[in-house]
Amino acid sequence: MRRFKATHVRTLIILLVALVIMVGYVARLDVGNLSTLGYGIISAICPLGFLETTLAGKSFILRALVSFVLVIALVIVLGRVLCAWICPVPLIQRWLPKRKKKAREQMEDRRADLALSEDRQPGGRRRGAARLDSRHWVLGGSLLSAAVFGFPVFCLICPVGLTFATLLVLFRLFGYGETTLTLLVFPAILILELVVFRKWCSKICPLGALVSLVAGLNRFFRPKINDSKCLVTSRGIDCSLCHEACAREGIDLRRPLASKTALNDCTKCRDCADACPTKAIIFPLLASRPTAPKEMVEVRATAATGVAETTEAAEAAERTGRASTTERTGTASTTETTEATSTTETSKSEES
Amino acid sequence: MTDSGTPGGGITRRKLAIGVGGTVALLGIGGVAKFAGSEPLCRPPGGQDEEHLIAECLRCEKCYEACPTGVIVTAKIEAGLINVRTPTLNFKLNWCDYCDQGNDGHPLCVEVCPTAALRLPEGATRENVILGTAYLVEDWCLGWQLRGCRRCYEECPFDAIEMDAHERPRVIPEKCNGCGLCENICPSLMAGSYTVGATDRAITIKPVETLRLLALEQAGEEEQ
Repeated sequence: MRRFKATHVRTLIILLVALVIMVGYVARLDVGNLSTLGYGIISAICPLGFLETTLAGKSFILRALVSFVLVIALVIVLGRVLCAWICPVPLIQRWLPKRKKKAREQMEDRRADLALSEDRQPGGRRRGAARLDSRHWVLGGSLLSAAVFGFPVFCLICPVGLTFATLLVLFRLFGYGETTLTLLVFPAILILELVVFRKWCSKICPLGALVSLVAGLNRFFRPKINDSKCLVTSRGIDCSLCHEACAREGIDLRRPLASKTALNDCTKCRDCADACPTKAIIFPLLASRPTAPKEMVEVRATAATGVAETTEAAEAAERTGRASTTERTGTASTTETTEATSTTETSKSEES
Repeated sequence: MTDSGTPGGGITRRKLAIGVGGTVALLGIGGVAKFAGSEPLCRPPGGQDEEHLIAECLRCEKCYEACPTGVIVTAKIEAGLINVRTPTLNFKLNWCDYCDQGNDGHPLCVEVCPTAALRLPEGATRENVILGTAYLVEDWCLGWQLRGCRRCYEECPFDAIEMDAHERPRVIPEKCNGCGLCENICPSLMAGSYTVGATDRAITIKPVETLRLLALEQAGEEEQ
């Protein structure tokens, strides 16, 4: 039984990490901030920071390299977990006021989303080609600027760094009475970045881009749909709540085959699992087989054309055979299911 | 219409705009930070190679946390954009004893630095790692006002301050490593002993680079 939503647990963990760093600042515990979180020699260096300083200094620091390898290994094991469970940026963004979008921008957004989903159609892109987007350009820009100017330029404006820098100057203000322009400049840059670029994480963040590239090697805890529970496969309902829940990355779990690399961007935030009305999405340690068999795409296609028919068939099958799923989840889930169906229908009518 | 159908890359005009814009912005910030000018700063032990420090420093603030005397602080934006959050020394808070008390004479800031931005050259000792040099403003000094203050002379661990025949302190720059003890204890701005026009303590540690520029300036004035 799950009482807590993943988003609450995530908020808690992010705040805890920030608290540990804050306590480290105050009590001088030598834990560092997120650029190199850790104690003593064992620390997790920011992989982007490592690459930047290596290019800037044109020298290899063994210790930093060891720390870098450790982080890369972590990303391979856990995937892009950092982005959802540790990084404070999404949380701050949630607290900041939302900038009202102009009609033109909304249109562009819709187009971009459409282009993204087209990208992920079978044949929409070369198979196996890494999904390169604007973030990767910014990543290239960060590395280039570090190499050209001889210092990690992106670190100056990195919102993660600025967050903790702001916390530190705040502590110095109250603890030591130090006043500095920094106190205004850091939050100003931070807010500017995160309010103007609402989609900082998915469109700009070079650290996320770097982690995504490595996360391609990740095979553990990848989201997987239990087809016997999923409304699309078990009852033929055109449900896409998991896709809608994945607001930041826009991954459609129902069709991950469309783009092999789409799951590289998965931060394992579990929002899709929470959104699923039948709790069909799981994050197994190791997926036993490919996440979605090919015929699922076809089932979806039939579902779109003849919803009623398939639903009836599925319900019949459920009544006779494996009705256990519905029984276990009880009445609440049934209402949720109806809701889900109605939402999808509304969105469909809007489209037409 | 966006050209999302481009085979292979799927580069839309929007992606290109953000990507190129971001790259140009980063190059711009890098250029501004690099060439807008910055203040020379006193660095913790191992940070004397300024170019190396700036290149390698991740601004992780570990040295700040590790420093047992709390003399290390992170640079403010007033010291120049490129210096922001890099480690510097605030001798008003304390002084650097090269971790003599805290870690048997092995600076902890150097030990914790994850990218070796702070690194000591071979054969580095407390005496030859120069953090800065003491600089005395005679007009502000109580000793020079013949008020009998000899705190810096008495406390200096390197005997880098001598007293002249009138009991007025003088810095011997060759002996000074910039540990900051003199600045830390200098009472000239405290205890009601203000000197008109004084904006700082009479004896302060200046970065070697600042003193070099100052010397050049003075030489220039003398020539005129």
